[in-house]
Amino acid sequence: MRLTAFPLLVASSLLWATGPTATRPHYGGTLHLAMRAAPTSLDPADSTQPGFGFRNVSSLMFETLVSLDERGEPQPALASSWHVEPGSQRWQFFLRRGITFQDGTPVTPEVVAASLRRTNPTWKVFSEGEAVVIERDSAAPNLPAELSLPRNSIVKRDGGKISGTGAFAVSLWDPGKKLFLTASDDYWGGRAFLDAIEIEMGKSFREQMISLDLGKAQVIEVAPEQAHRVAAEGRRIDSSAPVELIALLFSLEPQSSDDVRQRQALALSIDRESLNTVVLQGGAELAGSLLPNWLTGYAFLFPSAIDLELARQIRGEIPHTTSWSLAYDPADPAARVIAERVVLNARDAGLGMQITSASSADLRIVRVPLVSLDGQIALREVAARLGFSSSRFVSGSIDDLYNAENKLLQSQRVIPLLHLRTAYAVSNDVKNWRTARDGSWRVTDTWLTAEKP
Amino acid sequence: MSSTNDNAVYNARILHMVASSSRLRRVALFVALMLTSAPIVFASDWRIPEEQLARKIAAATGPGAVALEVANNSSLSHNDAEEIRRGLTSELAALGARLVNPEQAAATVQVTLSENLQDYVWVAEIRQGNNELSVAMVTTARPASVVVEHPAIAVTIRKTLLWTDENRILDVALLNGNPQHMIVLESESVMLLKFQDARWQQEQSLAVSHARPWPRDLRGRLILRSDHLFDAYLPGVFCRTSTTAALTLSCYESDDPWPLGTGESGLSAFFAPTRNFFTGALSPGIGKQTTMKAFYSAAMLPRDKYMLWVFSTVDGEVHLLDGISDQTQPKLGWGSDIASVHSNCGMGWQVLVTIEQDGASDSIKAFEIVDRASTVVSQPAEFSGIITALWADADGTGAIAVSQNSETGRYEAYRISIACSQ
Repeated sequence: MRLTAFPLLVASSLLWATGPTATRPHYGGTLHLAMRAAPTSLDPADSTQPGFGFRNVSSLMFETLVSLDERGEPQPALASSWHVEPGSQRWQFFLRRGITFQDGTPVTPEVVAASLRRTNPTWKVFSEGEAVVIERDSAAPNLPAELSLPRNSIVKRDGGKISGTGAFAVSLWDPGKKLFLTASDDYWGGRAFLDAIEIEMGKSFREQMISLDLGKAQVIEVAPEQAHRVAAEGRRIDSSAPVELIALLFSLEPQSSDDVRQRQALALSIDRESLNTVVLQGGAELAGSLLPNWLTGYAFLFPSAIDLELARQIRGEIPHTTSWSLAYDPADPAARVIAERVVLNARDAGLGMQITSASSADLRIVRVPLVSLDGQIALREVAARLGFSSSRFVSGSIDDLYNAENKLLQSQRVIPLLHLRTAYAVSNDVKNWRTARDGSWRVTDTWLTAEKP
Repeated sequence: MSSTNDNAVYNARILHMVASSSRLRRVALFVALMLTSAPIVFASDWRIPEEQLARKIAAATGPGAVALEVANNSSLSHNDAEEIRRGLTSELAALGARLVNPEQAAATVQVTLSENLQDYVWVAEIRQGNNELSVAMVTTARPASVVVEHPAIAVTIRKTLLWTDENRILDVALLNGNPQHMIVLESESVMLLKFQDARWQQEQSLAVSHARPWPRDLRGRLILRSDHLFDAYLPGVFCRTSTTAALTLSCYESDDPWPLGTGESGLSAFFAPTRNFFTGALSPGIGKQTTMKAFYSAAMLPRDKYMLWVFSTVDGEVHLLDGISDQTQPKLGWGSDIASVHSNCGMGWQVLVTIEQDGASDSIKAFEIVDRASTVVSQPAEFSGIITALWADADGTGAIAVSQNSETGRYEAYRISIACSQ
């Protein structure tokens, strides 16, 4: 045994809430939020709803059996404990007692099982006494982490009505426009400090900033490329770790060995450093991998630096190259600029590429949110979003994760570009607002200074 | 696998815990614990991951000339990284590798010490001749958090670390005796500990039962009693220990007022059962004053012919009540928590006040109030995080402060006392 001093190990500022000090939290008040996403449903199982915004809104009303802490470790949520049998195929989850849905009905194993069956039709889920049993076809060592995904939130469905167990309940819902939530007094985790949350949806970054300046919104989203400037103007900015992948996705598998090499040349030709510093103003990290290094620890094995010389050399070895078409989401201004730079980089390497608005492009710029702090679950979800077949993991080891990610990248279907942070501007009267490492909101401990009880 | 902790339950009866007639005898000043001065070190054993990685590397390279480079991209210290490099070298040599310069090597191995959310990740990139790159990696658990030593505190306010816990500590009470005992109030239990073999050892844990969920920013207070061991006040819940030999704790829903000040002041106040403040209703009142604004905390300052009460109200004001007048001091910059302490210094009574230090941590300063004007009389005593509780102790000669360490997330309970400046 060797003695080692750890005087100042990295303790991320995201790990612990460092809210306003000395003053105790105040109860009361309405928090006004604005966001770009415009979800038309509140059902967490609705996979058609947009990204992080929908997840964060949904988590105010709905909860999962298990949650992941800042280190990605499963923690009890609606389930107070769980038990797995050897082989990791059969799991029992024991529900926390005394929890009710927002409609006042109790959370029972039967309702929980029905909720999970709906979102996971291939699972065998049933109640057994006070427990919910999940049986999988193959070993599922990461099942608790999988259950922490928002789509596995426990929802009571009664006709067209849905009800959750979260800290806030719906008072007013104008789909895609406005949501008004009120704090549940009997919330099992302790009533939130806020009385209510009002969320304006479908607002552009510019509209949100105006709302913040006018005092109509207290928390707004900030485009990653704007975060530094907004902070320099003296506004309070709260950011996540890099949690959104921007990548080039080919519509087809490589059609030949030359096609493979042409794609390799393209990957080597892209100047990600300039994309980050010029286009995104440092709001991202360079990505050669699907998952960021903070999540895996091995991402540096996938190079992200430009190597134009090698790209040209490979291009020179290909007798006949294809001129590709590149598409992007026209509603995403950053994607347009990224696309323009990628085309320039490709041309520098002698590759033909032009931007198109057609839906049948050879490749397109995609944004993929990283939805879990568990590496294997995150990779599987990324693969699913990219349209790849599901990754199979033999164990929970780091080698397994690396091999699965390496295999996806070796398919030459996707070229990672950047990992983006999500950023929020927060007005000074909002205390203890916290954006978690994965970009999710921690609102139950948020409070407002101006309000009096 | 289960996520629940199998905490040990202690059922042994605590000896010498029969209430004494004198609280002054029972509740003592607790002298410095060694914990506060001992440097914090962690023992790390890298041998297992070193051996694992060396085996993987050797399996790829086979015996022969190997060049090894180690780069540290993690939060490990330079010394640790160097120690790991030496360990890997030694393990590889034991497996038949001969460590040489890169130009002489049949295989080059670049080891990167990296990390992710939970683990250190050590990655070996192995290149042999013209062969493709092969990769080997191992993980070893990364400590969740570390305790960071804090600078020495000012001389007039003394803080002595009593107890730390990952669960929120609401209040602590010390009982004099031999051995000394301590009671720790948390959200779900009350722990009774005995100081033995130079450390606190848990003797018993009593469950705090409650039907309703606790409010956020949970607060609670212990009051030592003469006819039974203690009472515990929590929002909407009152707990009382048995008077029988086998110590038990009975908790029930109650809106009984909580004692303010030292507990012997005779003044109590009603606590909002679903919030973190007192409603403002006083029992029996200060003279004719039976209500005031909602407040977070109160401190009593005995005067010759009356008692002056200081309140830190929810709207950020400080109010001075003497039974006749209610004087407001709106912008003192005080925090929410105050407590008074009796000392042999200055006017004899000081008010301890939480103060925002740097946005991420709090400090406590001592004030005296003369002619309704407050004057700071101490250097700040700094804490490594926000202060979540500050209560006067039973005899008024000190206070209990609880802070949440911003580095580790753990709660730390301190006894605060005042020494006269030289």
